Amino acid sequence: MKTPMHRFKYTKLTSDQIGQKLAAAANGPTSVSAFTKALDGKSLKIVTQDGPTLEYSFGNDKKLTLSEDGKQIAASYGELTLNNIVFFSHLIPGEQKGYNVFIDQKTDLVTVFEVWLSSGIKANAGGPGAPVQEYTLDDREVQRQIYFGYVDKGQGMPANLHSYTNRVAGKGLHWKQDNGIETLEYYASVANTNFVELTRHIDDLSYVSTSDYVLADDRTFIYNRTECEFSGIHTCFVMDLYNVKQVGVRFGFNDKDELEYYMFRGDGTITGQLAYLEPFDEHGKKPMWATGNTPPAKGARYSYRPVRSFPHLTDEEMHAAAEQNTSTFATGEGANTDISGTGNNMPFSDILVGKTFTLRFDNGGPVRDYRISDKFKLEFRDQRDNVWHTADYRAYEGDDNLAWFSHVIPNSKPRASVQVAVDFSNGLATSIESHMGTAYYGNETTYRPVFGVVEMEGLETPLYVRHTLTDELVGHAFSWSYSDQVTSMHLYSSPHSMSWTIFTGNQTMGAQWCSPCIYVKVRPGVYLFCQNEEACNGAQMIELLNTKISHDCGFSFTGGPRGVNLRVVGAIGRHIGKFDTLGYYGPKQREA
Amino acid sequence: MKLFSARESTQVDNGANKRRSFLKQLGLGVSAAVGSATTLVKADSHGSNDSLSLKLATLEAEKALRSLHQQYEQALDQGQLDAVIALFADDAKVIFNGGEFRGREQGISRLYHQHFAASNSGKRMEVAPGFALASAQQQEQLNVATDLLSAQAVFPYSIQVGKSIESATSLAAMARLHGEGVHMWWEGGVYELHYVKDAKDGTWRIKQLAYNTLARADYRTGRSYAKTITVPAFATRFPEDSRGPDALV
Repeated sequence: MKTPMHRFKYTKLTSDQIGQKLAAAANGPTSVSAFTKALDGKSLKIVTQDGPTLEYSFGNDKKLTLSEDGKQIAASYGELTLNNIVFFSHLIPGEQKGYNVFIDQKTDLVTVFEVWLSSGIKANAGGPGAPVQEYTLDDREVQRQIYFGYVDKGQGMPANLHSYTNRVAGKGLHWKQDNGIETLEYYASVANTNFVELTRHIDDLSYVSTSDYVLADDRTFIYNRTECEFSGIHTCFVMDLYNVKQVGVRFGFNDKDELEYYMFRGDGTITGQLAYLEPFDEHGKKPMWATGNTPPAKGARYSYRPVRSFPHLTDEEMHAAAEQNTSTFATGEGANTDISGTGNNMPFSDILVGKTFTLRFDNGGPVRDYRISDKFKLEFRDQRDNVWHTADYRAYEGDDNLAWFSHVIPNSKPRASVQVAVDFSNGLATSIESHMGTAYYGNETTYRPVFGVVEMEGLETPLYVRHTLTDELVGHAFSWSYSDQVTSMHLYSSPHSMSWTIFTGNQTMGAQWCSPCIYVKVRPGVYLFCQNEEACNGAQMIELLNTKISHDCGFSFTGGPRGVNLRVVGAIGRHIGKFDTLGYYGPKQREA
Repeated sequence: MKLFSARESTQVDNGANKRRSFLKQLGLGVSAAVGSATTLVKADSHGSNDSLSLKLATLEAEKALRSLHQQYEQALDQGQLDAVIALFADDAKVIFNGGEFRGREQGISRLYHQHFAASNSGKRMEVAPGFALASAQQQEQLNVATDLLSAQAVFPYSIQVGKSIESATSLAAMARLHGEGVHMWWEGGVYELHYVKDAKDGTWRIKQLAYNTLARADYRTGRSYAKTITVPAFATRFPEDSRGPDALV
């Protein structure tokens, strides 16, 4: 798949179309690995807490009969075992639902996933205080409801059932399924997965899906993710973390609208573990979506769906708004004065005051002259137009004798800004050239790094050495506290993407989303990080990360109906772990 | 008898001087209240059956009112906002942060269902370090009128209050997914309450509730420090502010 998932226009399959496509699954799921026969000829009654009672009889030919609420159902199923867990999956013919059932044959404890399509579930994309923007979830999005129970042998409900857990949170795994599919999965949140499709996709981008984590026993965990806002496909498996093996099922419709309903085995490698930041006595037994006062509706889960409320502006609409209002550093009419992103910022520096220099970027890149005599105002000239401009700017000293500053390009169309690192010790400069507009939205930003040198009296400039794109941060995770009110955990998940996770009140990692990004190495331990929240809110964050002091500082560049904002942003950080995943990335030998 | 003026009772307290100022106000009010109670006690001293009955009835009323207040605090702590609202009289009002919310089904419902719910306000919270109220400020006062149809009370509180972070960032939007995206702080003060007895069913209801904030601190449970903060009072009335008060006080 070449089109990134967040840009791909998935078909709005109708309920009728889905019903027709499900007919292809009449014989049950497929599997590369041989199905097991642990349930052949057996009958069992599964009693669930707050859920259905399911009475199964299994034949010897992958056929079962199910009695559910007095209704008799005949279906085909698939079965795979992993240690003492037997997992089977089946659909209910004529209905758009099925069951994935994990039975621990040693304890008789059971976790049941009811899955269904064409849910009709309504959600609200409006923010607090904003008008309700009700929409219906896509019919193709697989829904799930998890029930915990037991195989009834007359013993009554056990005191301890399988349970939700935070014990998987923070782990990262590489999985390779028996069908050759490889994924990197970062379980960095109790409610999401940040995953990379290493074989299905070509771009090594990480994406986020909503997930649940279930504890079966200390080595055995049951997991699922649903690619909400993308294809809606559902992946569900049990994993044994002693031997790092999985068996599971994938169910739903892919980017070609084909039904995928197959079971798999897989082998894994644990790639790392992030620190737990929640209290030591928090075990995650209550999922985030069930912490309110009212019982959650069937299928409830947290899924961040940002593009639903992201208005689309054309390039012309965006520029008209920019002409009305371009605000720099929270000054001017319409300025966003929200300080939740700046409470822990680094101080502004006068490192540029009194300096006159030229930034010369490679490959025909821009050449800009600067003369600066004030801490907050500068003069610059692009040698292509040879006109001196005055602009507000803010600068940090991001590392010793390293200036990091930003300003808007006045009167630019589309509205543009630059974020510039100037290394006065090494004569190097990098500029992130940013402007409003992408091929998708006028109100998204586009950025590109340009590398070059700084020319200044008394400073030698190198001919060959340059700042460069880097993958040194890949796999690292930092929590960034922008203020005492706002903290976000950044996981630099791939060479071209990252995810961010919001903490709950007790510092459990919860809601999560992702974006493409770039990393530039400026000095050892000092990096530029630039991301655009694509198909989200279009906002761009451009930070200098100084890992030596666990602090970042930088800028955000955003546009919308109320104009363009260039603002400062910065945070104090905590390094909370690293995944050893870099070796999985890069161009691969692929089948033609 | 009027213990508190609304304007006095909603003064934002940012320092010791204002606390002292409030104590004077509270002292005057309490004196009047105690005077009323003294009147009751003097009547009791004759030992008549009527006065004993009145004393018993007063004690029962006090018990019922303390129970009512416990219900209020517990329901608010647990976020059972319908239960909170049900404790008010139809024409009751609540004074909170410079705004007056009128009517159980209108302003008061709006205050709790929209403002409190969106800002995680009202839950009980430990006192912020260094912000303990003076013992005089923690004294409960409860005075039942001699006709047993109305009462006034002062109860201390220590609660979490918040305000939605008005930010268009994805961080704020995602935090709202799990009921957060709220700047939260600690508030300590006293509830100033007027109660009435419902003539129809004989139950006590809250006629007026004023949150008289004596101290605010930027503090969350588990943090080792707290610092004084200033919180802007309501400045816009409903309906211009969809969660705003009916009047500014």
